[in-house]
Amino acid sequence: MLSLTSRIGLSSSRTILSSQTAALFRPILIRGIKTIPQPPGFIVGTVNDAYVPPPPHKLEGSLHWTSERLVAIGMVPLALAPFITGTSSVIDSTFSALLLYHCYAGFQSCIIDYIPRRVYGPLHNYAMYLLTFGTGVAGYGLYQIESKEDGVAGIISKVWKA
Amino acid sequence: MFRSVLRFQQPTRAFVRGLATSAEKTSRIKSFQIYRWNPDTPEVAPTMQKYDIDLNDCGPMVLDAILKIKNEQDSTLTFRRSCREGICGSCAMNIGGRNTLACLCRIDTDTSKDLKIYPLPHMFVVRDLVPDLTHFYKQYKSIQPYLQRDTPPTDGRENLQSIEDRAKLDGLYECILCACCSTSCPSYWWNQQQYLGPAVLMQAYRWLIDSRDEASKIRREMLQNSMSLYRCHTIMNCSRTCPKGLNPGKAIAEIKKQLAFD
Repeated sequence: MLSLTSRIGLSSSRTILSSQTAALFRPILIRGIKTIPQPPGFIVGTVNDAYVPPPPHKLEGSLHWTSERLVAIGMVPLALAPFITGTSSVIDSTFSALLLYHCYAGFQSCIIDYIPRRVYGPLHNYAMYLLTFGTGVAGYGLYQIESKEDGVAGIISKVWKA
Repeated sequence: MFRSVLRFQQPTRAFVRGLATSAEKTSRIKSFQIYRWNPDTPEVAPTMQKYDIDLNDCGPMVLDAILKIKNEQDSTLTFRRSCREGICGSCAMNIGGRNTLACLCRIDTDTSKDLKIYPLPHMFVVRDLVPDLTHFYKQYKSIQPYLQRDTPPTDGRENLQSIEDRAKLDGLYECILCACCSTSCPSYWWNQQQYLGPAVLMQAYRWLIDSRDEASKIRREMLQNSMSLYRCHTIMNCSRTCPKGLNPGKAIAEIKKQLAFD
């Protein structure tokens, strides 16, 4: 993100570097990405119209938030259990499934924050697809670890001793 | 009216005071760096302009200082102010890196350091220290900040409320919508077009828990999407910066709790 000073136009980098040089320094990923232009002052409609929220969708709203919290709270005892009771495949696979969802929800939040549909249009969807694909691959990997090796806890303890 | 009477008396008072104390004091020159940008000359980049003020003949608050600059040094300096006692919320600005009201912020008396004053961060600037709050007010309008009832009052005259129910509104109704909290929130910086921000959400909560209001269902449904409410990541800059000492972060958490199993 840009710093406060550069956002309000006080940064020295903008005035010293020409636009061409600045474009060279921009990360390769950002170059060539077309963003949707935003209305002046972010004002949609007239200045007297109220802001219109997106249509209600509980799966994106309260249910999503509640499931995020429940999973995060549920992971605490599951993370501590292997230290007290020793590992079991049930505890280990539940924990890794919750961890997978936890990471998925976290990255989802990042995408909504930094690649919003409002600005990036279809790129927002592509980022979500990529995340879903990555979560799928990680899920398959976890399945392999659980079925063929001795679980996530086993790997961690091996790495710890090595 | 009273002020004009006071001003009338000032010359005599200043004279007496001048005789008594002015010789003893050494001048305390404090530098103020103030953000300047003029929409009439858009090709000129924004600059920080420096003003020196002797703290001995200036009031204790930052607003006193910038009023003094406007009166005596540079009449083109533009900012909003009205009540000079923290009740109107006009003079919200970023002073020394913190969003606060200029009228409630004391000048740091350490004269070795400059005091930097910017407009509220990440807002469109109208001129100098004046931010464009149109979108902020549009968002406030969208939460329908007024009492909504289908049933008439039971006694036919007033909508009564118990003392306990009234107490729930304390710490919420005092908000003056100065936008200090919303513009200190990084999530609001990124997504202010869709995220309502702490100030507006706190007012949304104020109407949600009002025992006299009967539109809670519609009010809750309005927040049921990923953007309006759930872009709050409990960063808590809002509660830290509030010049009135309110806690918007807690209000947002209470809304989330209400909605959790909705």
